[in-house]
Amino acid sequence: MAISDVFLEGVQAGWQVHNASLFEKDQQLEVDVVIVGSGAGGATTAEILTAAGLRVLVVEEGPLRTSSDFKMQEATAYAELYQEGMARMSKDGGISIMQGRAVGGSTLINWTSSFRTPPATLEHWADKHEVSGLSEQTLKPWFERMEKRLGIEPWPIAANANNEVIKRGCQTLGYDWAVIPRNVRDCLSLGFCGMGCPANAKQSMLVTCLPATLQQGGELLYLARAERLTFKQGRVEQLECLALDARGVETTGKRIAIKAKHYILAGGAINTPAILLRSQAPDPYKLCGKRTFLHPVNFSAAQFVDEINPFYGAPQSIYSDHFQWQEGAAGAMGYKLEVPPLHPAFAATILGGKGQVNAQRMAKLPNTHMMLALMRDGFHPASASGKVELRSDGSPVLDYQMTDFTWQAMRRAYHSMAEIQFAAGAEKVFPVHNQADYMTSLAETQRVIDGLDLAIHRARLGSAHVMGGCALSDNPKQGVTNSWGVHHQLENLSVHDGSVFPTSIGANPQLSIYAIAALFSDQLLKICV
Amino acid sequence: MPITTSKLTRRGFLKLGLVTGATLSLVGVTLGVTSWVTNQTASGFSYLRSQDIAMLKAVLPVIYAGTSNPENQPAQLAASLTMIDYNLAHLSPSMRKLTLQLFDLLTNPITQGSLTGVWGAWSAASPETIQNFLNRWQASRWTLLNQGQAAILQLARLAFYSQPSSWQICGYPGPPNLG
Ligand SMILES: Cc1cc2nc3c(=O)[nH]c(=O)nc-3n(C[C@H](O)[C@H](O)[C@H](O)COP(=O)(O)OP(=O)(O)OC[C@H]3O[C@@H](n4cnc5c(N)ncnc54)[C@H](O)[C@@H]3O)c2cc1C
Ligand code: SF4
Repeated sequence: MAISDVFLEGVQAGWQVHNASLFEKDQQLEVDVVIVGSGAGGATTAEILTAAGLRVLVVEEGPLRTSSDFKMQEATAYAELYQEGMARMSKDGGISIMQGRAVGGSTLINWTSSFRTPPATLEHWADKHEVSGLSEQTLKPWFERMEKRLGIEPWPIAANANNEVIKRGCQTLGYDWAVIPRNVRDCLSLGFCGMGCPANAKQSMLVTCLPATLQQGGELLYLARAERLTFKQGRVEQLECLALDARGVETTGKRIAIKAKHYILAGGAINTPAILLRSQAPDPYKLCGKRTFLHPVNFSAAQFVDEINPFYGAPQSIYSDHFQWQEGAAGAMGYKLEVPPLHPAFAATILGGKGQVNAQRMAKLPNTHMMLALMRDGFHPASASGKVELRSDGSPVLDYQMTDFTWQAMRRAYHSMAEIQFAAGAEKVFPVHNQADYMTSLAETQRVIDGLDLAIHRARLGSAHVMGGCALSDNPKQGVTNSWGVHHQLENLSVHDGSVFPTSIGANPQLSIYAIAALFSDQLLKICV
Repeated sequence: MPITTSKLTRRGFLKLGLVTGATLSLVGVTLGVTSWVTNQTASGFSYLRSQDIAMLKAVLPVIYAGTSNPENQPAQLAASLTMIDYNLAHLSPSMRKLTLQLFDLLTNPITQGSLTGVWGAWSAASPETIQNFLNRWQASRWTLLNQGQAAILQLARLAFYSQPSSWQICGYPGPPNLG
């Protein structure tokens, strides 16, 4: 079956797509709007602004990889398509942080779960963070528009066995569960969304908003890193970019200076605040990069007699919010339960152990199910939170500090996951922590969980949802940008990505980013045009 | 082989923010001197140096123990080294520097023995000694050692299990053929 490579065909047909690694001279460019980042927020914005007739340039630091490059191989996908070659982690090394880094951003490698922003989150922002205009009602048309644009619908096909465990366990226990909406069209259920969809079924930015932008005359410059903005009289004067080599790792020495009427940062959380920090952008209340959230995740593995084959099938199709809002938005920290897909290298890094222990765990991969709990960080003053810092070479690193309050939620989550796994018929359950191993009874597992020393480098933690750091708020003492994403100190600068969230979302964030970026773009057009 | 000066300075570590108060004294004592190690990459590799390779050739088999039959091991080890080098090439410059500094600690004559308990050549170390070193680093109260141990294991596992030669061991049939 031949799958057409939509993006490559467009490039061959003459789209304005430029590879900065090939530049032999410094460049000076001028456009109406320059957008940094080609992911969820950047590409959504680019399509809307181009359609309105603006000359738009999208700048992306990652490489261009399209469907014919996606070979479903962990060996190359992680190194080439993820931030820092998949080695991004919190400053103390306690949490692995996954983010995309290629044309299409994290949407290229995400797992396609598409949730609207929970109403409780929007109410919390209005109540506690002085955010205006972002209610369930005002966002509704934007959710609907993006759902239609990206083919988002509850997954109509039976869940794979890995996801089915959540459903079976929750049904047995009387807990809530539901089917996940996914942004796919003609999905082959391969299960390799995290390595780039080889079938162009995932409606990532690579096959939707970016082609639409380019088709309408917008331009894309890739392997170019937005290094810093310069300022003059309360406005951004210019954006300075550095060309990167073909790997997207080292700079080539060539510079690209871009002047625009309006500048939009959409490099994603951690990276967008880093651009502002490198630029020493005005920040009178020292807010930039603070309150960065991760939905930090802990894991529980289980072995079943029957095969699970957790490497195949739509990676995420069932979730449980049973424990998410039990004490309201600002009470004890809630968590969402989902599963990750498990391919060998990824599974091995989570399952841990060395020598025989690791070998035995890995030998059972086909019978292994994995569950994860996404902590809803940022709603309570005692929640864990992170701060973006710059290393000596100007690259960002997140100092994320866990708190007792957050660990308590993780301990509850180990319990919930083990309970659901046993209820679903698991033979053995392993709360993924250095002091634990597979156990055959719920009672023993519960006893072990109660005794775990919950600390980084003991519990294995990860994150694929980085949010915050350039929070929205009408109050300049609380937020970097106003409620429409415009920078409080620089009127021709906006932020349109996951970094604008004042807290974590409490659901996988992509649809929140699409809808909010679309709404902000619409607002911006009222100013610009 | 040309010998160059490696600036494995105490300040370098502090900047990376890896060091908790408790490790400060240790790192101060062991790294307060400029050491002599080669920075020349080994032939056929872009980033790994010959001393790194000697160390990894001793450590990786302990991490991979139980995963394959002995006759496959040399080929798998060689492929893992190539993969680790490829991964190093795609890390951000600062994460790569951090990783190579970790390898420096493990191979530098001044730090190797006191930090790992492996005195003398890595190739002469018994699997038990290496196992003990990894366990000690994992259980340590010092974040620097926890993080170092985690980094070695992650690099090793990603390199091993991303190769088709390991898939049979873990019952993974590989990606489907899309024709
Ligand atoms: C493995 C994985 C699975 C996920 N699964 C899901 C899921 O199922 N559902 C869901 O809702 N969310 C999921 N997410 C998260 C979701 O994809 C992201 O939250 C979302 O894409 C973030 O959008 P963004 O616009 O903030 O940034 P991104 O989409 O990450 O895009 C930012 C882009 O900007 C580029 N960039 C950064 N800095 C610069 C610079 N200085 N110069 C030039 N370019 C720059 C980056 O390279 C990147 O391409 C997943 C994430 C990962 C990593
Ligand atoms: S599961 Fe569907 S969307 Fe994901 S990689 Fe496979 S075909 Fe693409």
